[in-house]
Formats: sequence, structure tokens, C-alpha cells
Amino acid sequence: MIWLTWRQMRAQTLWTAGLVVAAAVYLLFLAGDIREAYRINITDCTSACEDAAHTLAEQFGSGLLLIGLLLLAAPALIGAFWAAPLITRELETGTHRLVWNQSVTRARWLAVKLALVGGVSVLFTGALSLLLTWAAGPFDKVVDSRFEPLTFAARDLAPFGYALLAFTLGVVIGVLTRKTLVAMAVTLVVFVMFQLVMANVLRPQFAEPVTETIAWDDANTVGQIDSFGIGPQGAGVQGYTIPGAWVVSEYIVVHKADGTDVTAEDIEACDTVGGTPDDCMVDLGATFDVTYQPADRYWDFQWIEFGIAAVLSALLAGVAFWRIPRGLN
Amino acid sequence: MSTPVLSTTALTKRYGKHTALAEATLDIPAGRIVGLVGPNGAGKSTLLALASGLIRPTSGRIEVLGRTPAADSAQLADVGFVAQDTPVYAGLSVADHLSLGEHLNPTWDDAFARDRIARLGLDPAKKAGRLSGGQKAQLALTIAAAKRPRLLIFDEPVAALDPLARRAFLQNLMEFVAELEVSVILSSHLIGDVERVCDHLIVLAESRVQVAGDIEDLLAAHHRLVGPRGTLDALPDGVKVIAADHTDRQTTLIVHDTTGDHLELPGADSVGLEDMVLTYLHRAEGLTAPTLQETRA
Repeated sequence: MIWLTWRQMRAQTLWTAGLVVAAAVYLLFLAGDIREAYRINITDCTSACEDAAHTLAEQFGSGLLLIGLLLLAAPALIGAFWAAPLITRELETGTHRLVWNQSVTRARWLAVKLALVGGVSVLFTGALSLLLTWAAGPFDKVVDSRFEPLTFAARDLAPFGYALLAFTLGVVIGVLTRKTLVAMAVTLVVFVMFQLVMANVLRPQFAEPVTETIAWDDANTVGQIDSFGIGPQGAGVQGYTIPGAWVVSEYIVVHKADGTDVTAEDIEACDTVGGTPDDCMVDLGATFDVTYQPADRYWDFQWIEFGIAAVLSALLAGVAFWRIPRGLN
Repeated sequence: MSTPVLSTTALTKRYGKHTALAEATLDIPAGRIVGLVGPNGAGKSTLLALASGLIRPTSGRIEVLGRTPAADSAQLADVGFVAQDTPVYAGLSVADHLSLGEHLNPTWDDAFARDRIARLGLDPAKKAGRLSGGQKAQLALTIAAAKRPRLLIFDEPVAALDPLARRAFLQNLMEFVAELEVSVILSSHLIGDVERVCDHLIVLAESRVQVAGDIEDLLAAHHRLVGPRGTLDALPDGVKVIAADHTDRQTTLIVHDTTGDHLELPGADSVGLEDMVLTYLHRAEGLTAPTLQETRA
């Protein structure tokens, strides 16, 4: 059975392995470039060192984002091009009637196919993930936004889970639809939808976020205020970031010491007194409540995300094991 | 050899509202070459798919060689199945198919397989997708036979073949049935083929088994009775009328003597296999058989 599975998947596996090797070589060179840039801009920095992070982000940000996107797409492609046809192609050409009548039970036939082809899918995706995580290491350290949705799903463990899920999803959709092209399309759509739901609906709920009251004086030491102004909701902070953490708050209303919101009049009063806006806010005793997932939850979240995908994969595999030995008519 | 190769009780397979096979009860002893005949859509493929374990029955019981079909690898090893249209992997070569057989069957007889491929003149390096219909059928037959099963099942093995390839295939089949000592069940809608190679018959029509038994016994138990009208109304118990045709002056009956005692019936004449089968098929469709009159000399 191992021989047959290998014989059937040989061509696809070899050219995919070729692509993986090409990507790996590229990542190796990229890792060198990133480390070189890190050494010049940060380790050996002599002047304008505060800008180093910015420089690095500018230089490698979009490239790494693109590779991250490819890594997000890899499981979807595996699901559509490897998993969906894995059994459907046999059903369409009728060869299941040949192979199911050799002295190998259907459960074993399915188990070997799932273990080998699924294993290789996870291995390829996982290897790229670990390589990318390593290559982007210095960059991620400087930028320190590992919870960024496109970064989070393309580093460490998450891609392993996605590969496993996309593979089992493709197999089961193939078994249920019994039409290769339909199964490929449905697998792509369902998997991409799952990725969106995971990032936007599930991931924020892995743990109850922490809410912390930050005094204006500490605002730029705890994190970084991107912009501050008067909006329709009153005076507020926008785009507040905390290194390594995942800030959930979007528009944060700022309060005075007595607990009331900072108003436009307060700001105008400041302007007449003079001094920097920051001094003025400190004088007002301004504070704001920021809600966020702390940085040290990163690995918990990675494991949870992997766990969800793994459990779903197990359920899907269960469906296949329930369905196939019963015959498909 | 005491276990029946195929034993079913009230075997039924339904697809939604459509009944593909209804209440089939069969008991086929070992060592036979069984012909399964019936029109297209009669349920032949359903019965064979159930026997090979490809599908499961909706209700009823089926045992093949005393076991549930496809129950485990030992049961699978005992049954060789060649599906309709003889599917093979188009992208794999003939040699790959033999490797497949060798890897997937502990009882694989490699010498037998290679010998057959050589005798058939198939190029081992050729992709199976480029073989002719007859060659594909031969390859599928070789794979099924080289696992050395105790029962070989063929679903319409010759339907897609031209007359020459058909004859060659059946010839081959006969050869190694003798060589391997296997039981065989094959379906066909060509009664002539069945008559040539089979010694046991199942007639299937309208999803039901019409009659089944050893061909010799069936022929000995079926008679054409011709007599003046009214004289054939009273028949002995156990003699069933399969078809009747009345003219003004005379009555013609095809009867099945189910007593097993070979009753002496007045005016009984023998019925040919084809006529017998057609009578059952017409009865199943609710038609008067045109075969009541002697069609052959």
C-alpha cells in the first residue's frame, strides 16, 4: 500500500519538493540579508538608532508579508490539488473498484493514504513555516508584532495545523462530492473562509483580554501612541500598540483624573496655556483603558490555534473512516 | 469445498426509492462457473458489487465463502473481482500493475502473472491507459487471478469487447479456471456466452431472481407442453407454469418441474437454454413470451 501510494503521488511529490527546496533556498538568502541588515542597523548602530526598526521594517516588511501570504496559501493549494483528488480521482476513473478488491481493507488503504500524503503535506508546510520563522527572527524581534494576523498564521505552529486541516478537509469534501473539480473549488472556498473566521472571530476569543489603565505619562513607555485627536467620540487615542502584545481596543477614549472624558474645551484650554500637548495631558491627569492580549500569551495562542485545527482534522478523518469502508453507493 | 461460494437471504439493495435488488435468496455451491444473466438494469452489477463487498446491503444477509464480503484482508484475498469496464490505472504501466498486485496481495503468484502477461504479448512498459479494451480486460483478469482467489467475480467482462477479443477472453478464462481450480461468477447479457462457459445459472430481471440452479438440472426440469385447449389445465403439484399461450385449438405451456422427481408429463418437449431464459425475462416484464412456439428446429 505504501508502494502504491508513493507510485501514485511520485510526480506531484517530487515537483512540490522542488518548489519547497527553491523556497527554502530563497529563505536562506533572505535570512542572510536580514541578519546583515540587523547587524548594520542595530548591533553596530552608531547614529539615529531609534530609526533602525523603521528601516528594517521598510526594507523587509513587504517581502516577508508576501512570503507569509504564500505560506497561508500553501495549505489551501495542498487541500485543493493533493487532498481533494486523492480519493475522488479514483472514484471518477473507477479504479477504486480495482484497488478495493486487492487483499487490503479499505480502512488500511485510507489510513496509509492519509498518513503518507497528509504527513508529507504537513511536513512541507511545517518545514517552510519553521524556516520562515527562523529567517524572519531578527525582523520579528525588532518589529515585535507577532500577533499581527498575517504574521501569526504564518509562523511557528499555526501552519502545521492549517496544513493538516486543509488536507483532511480536501479529502472529506472529495469523498462527499465525488467530483474532483467541484471538490477542489469547494475546498479552496471553505478553507479560506475558515482562515478568515479563525483570524477574525475565533482567535480574539482564545483568552479573555486584559484591560489596563494607562496614565498619560507612561503611555509611550508601555506602548506607542500612533495618533491622538478629537473625534466624534471625544478625545481619543488611535492605533495604540504595545510591543509584542495584541491590542484589541481600536479607538480609546481618554479620561481626566476625575473620570470624565477629555473634551475639546480641555484641549483648547491647554493651547492657551502653552507647553507641549503631552505636558497638558499629564497636567489633566489623563488616563485611558487599553484592552489587549499580553505578549506572553503568544505560545498559548499558537497551541490553541494548532489544537483547534488538529481536532477538526481528526473529526474530518473520522468522517472519511466512517464513510469509505461502508461503500460509496 | 462444502462452504457455498455465495449464500444470500432476502438480500436487498435500495438507492433511495429505487430498488436495485429485491429479496434475492441464493445458494451457490463451490466449484461452479456461474452465469448471471438478465437485461441491463436488472440488478446484476448490484448483486456482484454486494458479493465483492464494494457496497453493503440495505437489508438481508450475504456471505461469500462463508464470510461477510470484504470483512478483512483474508476474505479479500479469497475473492478476485473484475469490475465492469475493467478499470486500471491509466498512468501506471503494465509492470506497475503487477507490482501493485504483488504489494497488495500476500498470496500473489508472480510467476503466474508474468507468464500470462508474456503469453498475452503485453509490453510490461506500456501504460495501461494505452491498452486496447481487450488488453485492459486481460490485464484486470490477470491481476484478479494472480492473487489466487477461491472465487473470481466478473461483471460483464466481455461487454465492451469485439467478438474476437471476447472469444479470446472467454477462452483464457476457461483455461485458467481449470488451472487454478476456482469458482467463477460472471454476468453477461449474452446468453450464448453463458451457455458456452457456465454450468450454473442465475436469471435476474426486474431486480429479482427469477430462477437459479445448475444448468443441467434446469434444462431437465423445464418443459414445453403442447396440447388441445383445456387438456393442460390440471398439472401435478409442484409443476409451475412459467408462460402460457392459448390459441383457439391448442395450449402451449412452458413449465418448471420444481419437484426434483423428473415427472413424466404428457407431451413434454425440451426447452433450449435461451428460450428458457427469455421466457423468464418476458414473464418478469409482464409480457407474453414470443418463445412459446418452437423457434428452433
